[in-house]
Amino acid sequence: MSTDAILAIAHKELSDRLKSRWVMVIAIGFTLFTLIISYFGTIPSGVAGFRDLDATIASLTSLVIYFIPILALTLGGGIIADERDKGTLELFLCSPISVWEFILGKFAGLSVSLALSTLLGFGVSGIILITKTGTESVAGYLIFIIHSILLGIIFLSISFFISILFDERSRVIAVTVFSWLFFTLLYDLGLVGLLIVTKGSIGADIFSLLMILNPVDVYRILNFISIDQSAVFLGLASVEVPSYMTTSILWGISLIWGTLPLVASYILFKRKYLK
Amino acid sequence: MLKLNNISKSFGSIKALDSVSLEVREGEVLGLVGPNGSGKSTLLKVMLGITKPSSGDVLINGKVLQEKGWKHFRKQIGYMPERVSFYDNLTGRETLNLFAKIKSVNGKYEIIKRILSEDIQSRKVGGYSKGMRQRLNLAQALLNDPELLILDEPTSGLDPMGIKEFYDILDEVKSRKNLTVILSSHILAEIEDKVDRVAVIKNGENKAVGSLEELYTGLKLPLKISIAISEANTMLEELLQEEGAEDIRYSKGYLVASVPRQSKLKLLSAVLQKQNSFADLSIREPNLEEVFFGVH
Repeated sequence: MSTDAILAIAHKELSDRLKSRWVMVIAIGFTLFTLIISYFGTIPSGVAGFRDLDATIASLTSLVIYFIPILALTLGGGIIADERDKGTLELFLCSPISVWEFILGKFAGLSVSLALSTLLGFGVSGIILITKTGTESVAGYLIFIIHSILLGIIFLSISFFISILFDERSRVIAVTVFSWLFFTLLYDLGLVGLLIVTKGSIGADIFSLLMILNPVDVYRILNFISIDQSAVFLGLASVEVPSYMTTSILWGISLIWGTLPLVASYILFKRKYLK
Repeated sequence: MLKLNNISKSFGSIKALDSVSLEVREGEVLGLVGPNGSGKSTLLKVMLGITKPSSGDVLINGKVLQEKGWKHFRKQIGYMPERVSFYDNLTGRETLNLFAKIKSVNGKYEIIKRILSEDIQSRKVGGYSKGMRQRLNLAQALLNDPELLILDEPTSGLDPMGIKEFYDILDEVKSRKNLTVILSSHILAEIEDKVDRVAVIKNGENKAVGSLEELYTGLKLPLKISIAISEANTMLEELLQEEGAEDIRYSKGYLVASVPRQSKLKLLSAVLQKQNSFADLSIREPNLEEVFFGVH
């Protein structure tokens, strides 16, 4: 495997996002978003002011699950179509690099772009929050940032699969939007519906298992475990987490979610473009 | 150097290539001609390893190329696709650096500066003209100092000056090393004097292959005679008919006809005896276009 080729492709992708200020705009967005959530999050109780990091993490988790997946899905959604339309895909295919090197280079470049904007955005806002509320739960906040980066990488991986599966941009966009809706909203609605239909008889274990099939719910539970404050969580993540569902297991599931679509992308790419 | 042995390729029920056998000799310029949809692009993709043949073998220096061998073989290939716009936000130099790393090229190949000046290399590709983009396309193909250069419709969209510049550069590259070139084009007149041999592809089949002379002879294509005359001359018409000429007609002050190759000398001798009845005379070999239609 040629590391130089992977790094060259990754560098190009990262450089594109830095030059176009994509990384900076997203980072500023995350910073402002976090500060606003933290400051105005207490408005319902009648006062405004920065809350402690735990409460901020809980609020952010409920909203980040919408923003990061759509960012990642749109970031990677056009990646193959762009190369195909420019004619450069053919150049990559007939160059002495493997399909893996090509996909990994692209994936690494976009992952770093997304991770950098997440780290910068939440990092800067985290520093501001620490100066206002103290250093308690700093570790939890750092873990929240890592989880958020992982969530982005998972959806980036899914976006690669969508990008290779469909040729037309309109289809890619439609499936991207549907995937986002499915993972962030429809899946949990389905679970709630299942609870109602079965009148809660499906059991907590099966329910928990079904939850961890959705990477967004895994992200919620990971943050829930890391700050250990179920009271501040809303939605399905506030259900009781079974004891076997450890951080390691959830990380394992997340890594599978991050890897499987990428492996499927590789197989599909070979079938589609090297037939 | 490169040999295709009975290559067939089907996409579902469509047969794109049908038992194509072709040998590309070291140092030659092989023209690949054929109408749109004839299978030229599929054949090029088979040569590049992008398309896997349904049956048949690709041989390099006499050895069948297996899947793992492609990576190594591609290091020796430069490919210039017909349609590539590159990245508008990168400079020419950044683009070349990207592809140099992908091709694991360390040293700078001197000819690149001749193809794309330092000044043009420092500009963003988004501001390039069509001609500059084609130069960049050729430059990236030559980055790895290839043994085999595959050019797919390389002058498509270029103006006459751009076409001349392109072939001047190609001549220069050819003069520096014993480069083997596969030149796919549908502009037959343009590549006629650039190629050593031609392969005519139609309906996925290799209809004919050889030098132009071999093809003229093999296809028994007639020569073209043009006699400059001031007015209609029935005597010359009858003479041409007697010597077996066909398609006799008047065109813009010339009496033109197709002459069977074997009658050339006899006919010339007969016509020259009547030299007082015409101002000038020329006889020429068929061109690539006539070869192309002769095959069809």
